[in-house]
Amino acid sequence: MSFNDVLLQFEQVAYRYPDGSIGLDGCSLGIRAGSRNALLGANGAGKTTLFQHANGLLQPQGGVVRYAGTPVDYSRAGLRRLRTDIGLVFQNPDRQLFSASVREDVSFGPLNLGLDTDTVRQRVDAALDAVGLAHAADKAVHNLSFGQKKRVCIAGVLAMEPKLLILDEPMAGLDNAMREELLSALNGLHAKGITLLLATHDIDFAYRWADDIHLMARGRCTASFASAAMPAREDDLKAAGLPSPQVIALHRALVARGLLAATPLPRSQRELVALLETGALS
Amino acid sequence: MLIEQSAYTNRWRSISPAAKGLFALSGLIASFAAATPTTAAVVALALVATTLLGAGIGCARLARVAAPALGFLLIGSLSLLVSPALDASGSLTLQWLPEGSAPFFRLVARSGAALAALLFLVLTTPLIDLIALMRRLRFPDVLLELMVVCYRMLFVFSEALHDTLTAQAARLGYATPRLALRSLGQLTANLAIQVWSRAHDLHIAALARNNDGPLRFIEPTFADTRRDLAIAALAGSILILGATLL
Ligand SMILES: Nc1ncnc2c1ncn2[C@@H]1O[C@H](COP(=O)(O)OP(=O)(O)O)[C@@H](O)[C@H]1O
Ligand SMILES: [Mg+2]
Repeated sequence: MSFNDVLLQFEQVAYRYPDGSIGLDGCSLGIRAGSRNALLGANGAGKTTLFQHANGLLQPQGGVVRYAGTPVDYSRAGLRRLRTDIGLVFQNPDRQLFSASVREDVSFGPLNLGLDTDTVRQRVDAALDAVGLAHAADKAVHNLSFGQKKRVCIAGVLAMEPKLLILDEPMAGLDNAMREELLSALNGLHAKGITLLLATHDIDFAYRWADDIHLMARGRCTASFASAAMPAREDDLKAAGLPSPQVIALHRALVARGLLAATPLPRSQRELVALLETGALS
Repeated sequence: MLIEQSAYTNRWRSISPAAKGLFALSGLIASFAAATPTTAAVVALALVATTLLGAGIGCARLARVAAPALGFLLIGSLSLLVSPALDASGSLTLQWLPEGSAPFFRLVARSGAALAALLFLVLTTPLIDLIALMRRLRFPDVLLELMVVCYRMLFVFSEALHDTLTAQAARLGYATPRLALRSLGQLTANLAIQVWSRAHDLHIAALARNNDGPLRFIEPTFADTRRDLAIAALAGSILILGATLL
């Protein structure tokens, strides 16, 4: 599968919760194989609802979800295949970790896939290693920090070796050091060819990290664009109730004062500083 | 929490739980097989010594963990020693029982030894290892799943309870008895909803990880289970033989 193949496609997906509140309202977006995606939207925009559709936990009431080109098959066997390829990490670790033992919990997914014990052991070790928790394998979940618990959740899904890993607000509640650790774990996964989709409120992080940006507001998927095109899409951000990345305004001001060239566009403070230091004058 | 801490940090954490279980079981058998209170007391001492010297559990910690059970045991067995009775003048007095102190000492020594055996096990073996051991011993799945989920939920809820209590106290929820009663009611209602919502979320999370019914986990491996078992069997037999022959 090449970089431009769409792995997961939402077409006009609509979903209303039993109590009448709107989860998704004609949402369309595509996730390219091998890309890093950030899904941005205010609380209640529908990010979690969208994720539950991606993994077949919710079935659209209107529209279609396609995986690798074919509409999702909601039979038992079809869902099993879908959930083998698409892993979903929920937001709150205490609401998804079953066992008090780290190793046991990570083994839960691969055992559900029907793998033999030796393969499961290897996968558990590899997954814990990938999130930097190899040393904590025999610890009790309740003795871990919040950030470590989040990484156990990720390992639990990684051990199923998904092609697309979806993370619901993975950075929420983490301090800076924990974020950096998580980020380097995610970059490691991306380097291995896993497609990543994560929900976040942090526009600066999204701009710096993602290849593709998707915006949501009130159940609608309002815009999808390449992260590099962000400066031209500030209206879309505003419409979704999101601020612009700070580095864009800063860069603009420096260009206006003739201190920097209009291109290249820096996508983080660090890149901006680097440009200033190399003196890329207009 | 004291028990939890010891279970994870003691010197024998990495010893096979099967071996520790076997030794504890031998301890239990020895305490019932003990011919005299003195032998039972010796068994208890041997078990306590193993816990302290072998597994490296602190003396103070063991005492604190054992205290509630010991207190209960002593109060309970006092009734074997004395009994209230009405004397000739019609006033209530305590009377020594005709059997004398023998039944009292027998019960205390035996129960003490049995207690020591159980404490040895729980202080050296985390519950997750014990559950894995029970899984190996083919305990019914339903029971094990319940244990796994309950054990995990215990910590989740103690945290939720603690957070809610703190939040209520911070807003003076327990300032007067009236307020306290009200807050307690709200706390219960809140926790009940949380139980429901967390159970629902766990179910969804299980589905997301492709679960279709039984909860399956891998068994932890221990370095040298066979050697550990052999040593435990030997030590256990000595304990039982000693208790019956002495
Ligand atoms: N289980 C539910 N029952 C009813 N309404 C829900 C449920 N979950 C979410 N919603 C509603 O659906 C909308 C989208 O929620 P959600 O997908 O959780 O948003 P986000 O993850 O972006 O914060 C919100 O209006 C929310 O109130
Ligand atoms: Mg959400």
